[in-house]
Amino acid sequence: MIEAQHLTKDYGSIVAVKDVSFEVGKGEIVGFLGPNGAGKTTTLRMLAGFLGATAGRVKIAGFDVATQSLEARAHVGYMPEAAPLYPELRVREYLAFRAALKRVPRRARKAAVERSLEQAAVKDVADTPIGQLSKGYRQRVALADALVSSPPLLILDEPTAGLDPNQIVEVRKLVRELGGSHTILLSTHILPEVEAVCDRALVIAHGRLVAEGTLAELTAQKRTREIRLTVRGEAERLERALNGVAGLARVRSKAASTTPSVCELLLDVADDADPESTVERAVAALVAAGGGVRNVTPLRASLEAVFAELTAGDEPRPSGDAKASDA
Amino acid sequence: MSGFLAVYRREMLSLWVTPLAWVLLVVFLLLQGTIFYSIVVHFTGMADLAVETGPVEAYFGQESVFLLMTLLLVCPALTMRTFAEERRSGTIETLLTAPVTPSGVVLGKYLAVLSTYAAMWAPTVLYVVVLRKTGSVDWHAVGSSYLGLLGVGAAYLALGTLMSSMSKSQLIALLLAIFAEFGLFVLGVGEYVFEPGLLRDVCAHLSVGSQMEEMSRGIIDLRRLVFDASIAVASLYVTAKVVDSWRWG
Repeated sequence: MIEAQHLTKDYGSIVAVKDVSFEVGKGEIVGFLGPNGAGKTTTLRMLAGFLGATAGRVKIAGFDVATQSLEARAHVGYMPEAAPLYPELRVREYLAFRAALKRVPRRARKAAVERSLEQAAVKDVADTPIGQLSKGYRQRVALADALVSSPPLLILDEPTAGLDPNQIVEVRKLVRELGGSHTILLSTHILPEVEAVCDRALVIAHGRLVAEGTLAELTAQKRTREIRLTVRGEAERLERALNGVAGLARVRSKAASTTPSVCELLLDVADDADPESTVERAVAALVAAGGGVRNVTPLRASLEAVFAELTAGDEPRPSGDAKASDA
Repeated sequence: MSGFLAVYRREMLSLWVTPLAWVLLVVFLLLQGTIFYSIVVHFTGMADLAVETGPVEAYFGQESVFLLMTLLLVCPALTMRTFAEERRSGTIETLLTAPVTPSGVVLGKYLAVLSTYAAMWAPTVLYVVVLRKTGSVDWHAVGSSYLGLLGVGAAYLALGTLMSSMSKSQLIALLLAIFAEFGLFVLGVGEYVFEPGLLRDVCAHLSVGSQMEEMSRGIIDLRRLVFDASIAVASLYVTAKVVDSWRWG
C-alpha cells in the first residue's frame, strides 16, 4: 500500500529525513516510532503529499505521490498532528465539506458523513460548532474526516496526543477495529501504543530509519545481555567464583527476600562475548563453587530498552565530532 | 480545478457564519449610504439644473474617489483571511492533502470573496430605484457602472488573495493588500499630477478613477476591463504558484 524509496527531505543545511525506505502491505497496522523531532511528521507529510521529497519517491496504492499526486491523495485519509479544523463550522458541515473535497459522489455524501460520525463516535456533537468541542472530540472529528471517504490507507500523526487515558484507550480500540478494513500507518512516541495496536513498527531516529520489524523481531534484535540466576549459597562466595569467568562484564548480587540462604545474581554479558556460552561457563563455575543453581532467566529486552538503544545510538553530538557534521 | 466547488462553498459558509462579512457589510453600506446621500443633497441644492450629469453618474463617476476609498478598506479585509488563516491554524495541511489542485483551491477562495463583494454591492441598487421615482435613470449607464465596479473589485480582491498567501498573519496580509491596492489607486491619480506625456498617459490608462468616470457615462472601454482582468489573472496565477511552492518549504 505504501512504498517509500530513499525518501530524503532537507531544509537547506538541515536534513530532516535521510534515505528512508520501507513498505507497508495491505491491511497492516504499522507503528511509526521515534522520539520527538526524529522526522516522523516530516515523513508522514511526504507520504500524504503535503511536502515534496528532496529525493526519493513514494507510491501510495501504486500511484506516485509526485507525479500522480491527485490519485495518490484520493487513496489516503490523513490526520495531521494537532488535528487542525475550522472552528466556525459545525461537525456535520465540516465532514460534508471534506467528503465533497475528497470526491465522494454527491449522492453518497450524506451516508458517508453519517457513517464517519458513527465510526469516530462523534454523532452526539454532529451539530455543534467545532470551536466549542473539547480536545478529545476534536481529535475524533479529525479522525472522522480521515475516514469520510473510506480510503484504503489511513495515515494518522499522533492520533492519541493530548487525550486523557480513557480517550486513548477508545482511540486505540477504534484503530484496532479499523485495522480490519484499512491499512494504517500511525506515528507515536508512546511505546505501549505500538504494543497495543500495531502489527509491525518502523523506528526512526535523527531522520533515519534505524529498525523495522514485528514487535517480536524488534525485541529480539537487542540480544539479551542480562541474565538473572537464582542460586542457593553465600552471595560473596558465588561472586568470587564468577570472577574468573570469561565474557562477564559485571556481576551484581542481592539476597532473595524469601529465603535467606538463596541469592539472586544479575550477570551482564560483555558486548563482545557470546551470551549462551558465557552462561554455560558461569553456571559451571557456580556449580563448581558449591552453588545450587535453581533458576536461569535471560531477561527479555523490553521494547523501551530496544527503543532507547536504537534511537540513542547515533545521537549527533553538539561539537567536536567529525562524524556528526556529514552535511 | 479539482476541489473548486467544495472550497467555494466552505469559504462562503465560513465568511457568512462569522461576523466578518456582516461587519464589513454594515460598514460598507453605512459609508455608501452617506456618500450617496451627500451627493443627492448636493444636487438638490443646485440652482442651475442645466448640468450634464445627475447624482447617479456623480456617485459612480466624478465623485467615485469616495467610493473607491471604501473599497480600499473593504477589499483587503475581505481577502486577508483566505490563506493566512488556513496557514496559521494548520488547516492548510488537511486542505492540501485532499485531492485538490492549487488552482481549484485558489479559484474557490477567490470567487467566494468576489461573490461576497458582489453581494455587498447588491443593496446599493436600491439607491437608483429610489431616485427613479423623482426622475429618469439611464439604466445602461447604471449597468456599465456596476460592471466597472466588478472589474475594480476583481483586480483588488485578486491582489488581496495573493497578499494573503504571503503571510501567516492576517494583519500582515491586510497591510500588504492595502499597500498593493492603494498603490494601484495612487498610480491612477498620477493622471492629474504629471505633465502631458508618456507618464501621464500610462497613469491615465491605469486609473480606476477614470475607469469609473467613463463607465458611469455608459462608455464600456474594453481596454479597462482587460486591464482589470489581467491584474486578476496574474495575481491568481502567482497565488496558485505560491500555494504549490509550500510543498517545498
